[in-house]
Amino acid sequence: MKAFVKTDVLKVGQRHFPSIGILVSLAIIMIIFGIITPKFFKLDTLAGILTITAELAVVCVPMALLLISGELDLSVGSNFAFAGVLGALLLNRQVNGLLTLVAVILFGILIGIINGLLTTKLRLPSFIVTLGSMFTLRGLLLVVTGGFPISFRGQNVLLWLLNGKLIGEIRMSFIWLVFVVVCFHFILNKTRHGNWSLGCGGNADVAQALGIPVSRVKLFNFLLVGAMAAFGGMLSFARFGMAYPTLGEGMELEAIASAVLGGCALTGGFGTIFGASLGALLIASLRVGLVLVGAPAYWYRAFIGIILIIGIVINKEVMRRLVGGGQ
Amino acid sequence: MLVLVQVHDLFKEVEGMKKIMVLVLSVSLAFLGIGAELTFYYVPHTGASDPFWAVQKLGWETACRLLGVKGIFVAPTVFSIEEQVNMLESAIAAHPDGIATTISSDTAFDAPLTRARELGIPVIAVNIEDYTPPYVPYIAYIGQDEFIVGEVLAKRVLSEFTPKRAVIGIHQPGLTCLELRAEGILRVFRDRGIPIEKIDVTPYPTQAVEIMKAYLARYPDTEVIFTLGPLGAHAAIDLVKEQGLEGKVRLATCDVSPQILDAIRDNLMICAIAQQPFMQGFLAAVWLYLYVEYGFLPPAKMPTGPTVIDKSNLGLAEKQVQTTGGL
Repeated sequence: MKAFVKTDVLKVGQRHFPSIGILVSLAIIMIIFGIITPKFFKLDTLAGILTITAELAVVCVPMALLLISGELDLSVGSNFAFAGVLGALLLNRQVNGLLTLVAVILFGILIGIINGLLTTKLRLPSFIVTLGSMFTLRGLLLVVTGGFPISFRGQNVLLWLLNGKLIGEIRMSFIWLVFVVVCFHFILNKTRHGNWSLGCGGNADVAQALGIPVSRVKLFNFLLVGAMAAFGGMLSFARFGMAYPTLGEGMELEAIASAVLGGCALTGGFGTIFGASLGALLIASLRVGLVLVGAPAYWYRAFIGIILIIGIVINKEVMRRLVGGGQ
Repeated sequence: MLVLVQVHDLFKEVEGMKKIMVLVLSVSLAFLGIGAELTFYYVPHTGASDPFWAVQKLGWETACRLLGVKGIFVAPTVFSIEEQVNMLESAIAAHPDGIATTISSDTAFDAPLTRARELGIPVIAVNIEDYTPPYVPYIAYIGQDEFIVGEVLAKRVLSEFTPKRAVIGIHQPGLTCLELRAEGILRVFRDRGIPIEKIDVTPYPTQAVEIMKAYLARYPDTEVIFTLGPLGAHAAIDLVKEQGLEGKVRLATCDVSPQILDAIRDNLMICAIAQQPFMQGFLAAVWLYLYVEYGFLPPAKMPTGPTVIDKSNLGLAEKQVQTTGGL
């Protein structure tokens, strides 16, 4: 009877809060860092972590939606870098800030649509399609910049709106982070599109048979990823006033890792937006936390890898107990 | 009238003969190999996505254009010894007239460069030489001694003041030239008993800033941040400006960009070490040309640095940056 009640409570918890796994992992890691060094919970430190999280989360959150619908996008890092460079080039040509932002996001949307059309209409694996666009964009970026960073030294209110300092060390990117998470949470959980995305990722053939426009759903998710990768690139550019052709390299893997850490199934059909954003928060916490606790410099990457695996194990174990109950 | 027709016919005959003569001459020259375009390859460990290498590429291409040779620059987008070796092997297979490359690994270049020597292809090492025996076969090295770069940089900082603590932000751990620079700095500081360590700041500006910020939170007595290239230096400059650390934390770096020169002018940065990358790329092409065309034997080592850039020679440094993009 006791076991039944426990299982029942956990199942209810899981239904209402499916990101419990990543939350537990995050809490454990943060508490460990906090015990080793109280500086970890200082406001400035947390603000720094949130700044790294914001850039990653605006990419990994839409990536989570795409993963849920059964596809992935490896071109986000290149798109991210291209957006920054495009933004810098336009602002240097005295283009209005808002128009620049719109143009950059439209460019990202275009990349998303190309990826989406090639994947859905030609029935090509999104892994290959987006790998191709990743290389193409990175190459074009080098052609456009000649390898040099593009800087913008002027003042523009857009840069502050995107990533200026808000209060203390907290930046505007934190507001965008919250906005993006809320919007995508709403899309996934409160709209027909979100429900269809889950259906497409669960079983595309069944979804098609049930009348779900699978291609259209996936295409829209590619579009969202493209738009948000471009927006993320603008966030990074806005902080430094400089766009590097190397920006965003490896970001695709960090974005996918964050989403998977957050409970998204790589095979599609399952995952949460809140969990994905917590995955990004976990990665950012590790980056900063390991420096704060004085971990040996060259162990950082190894630590990050190990802790990511531990995080996923904790997450999966918590989820197994919740979903599987007494199994 | 008859005379006119005869003159016209004569001209036609002369024209025809000229065409035949040109054709015969061209075929003969081609057969003898005289006047045929020389082809040189430059295969460094990373490509134009790094501002430093964009300048190298520009120097190489400028020299090749001036010399009238075909200069092919191929490089991995991001640092990769494996990819570099693959590209080098492809370049050797093309049997060019000369190759320039960076010896980014102690061992990976033995086999391909031995093969190049067997095929009679002259190879010049640029930017990174072979530091450990048995030495890779190349005819000359153009660049600087990276360990000495670190020493010179550290000594220049110590001539300014004696910091309580210093940190070295390395943006590509594992890259031999950066590691050697760091070793040079570490040697000088440790000999003086000043606490110093290396941290992995990653090539991503947001992460680099937050990682350095976390380090300063852990060690508030840090008074100098060394960086080993523009990717790290730009982030360090932003950190000092954002945190209002002017005068509290001084910077010093290797390689130069417009932002770095500004930082020297604004007293944020004590100095930067220039190795004049444009000259490295330029001289590589020139020496291959002199070797192949005229049989000149290059000296074993041709230093292009280390040159200390500080407030005393800022004007000249700026001219080089304006004309070549970097220094």
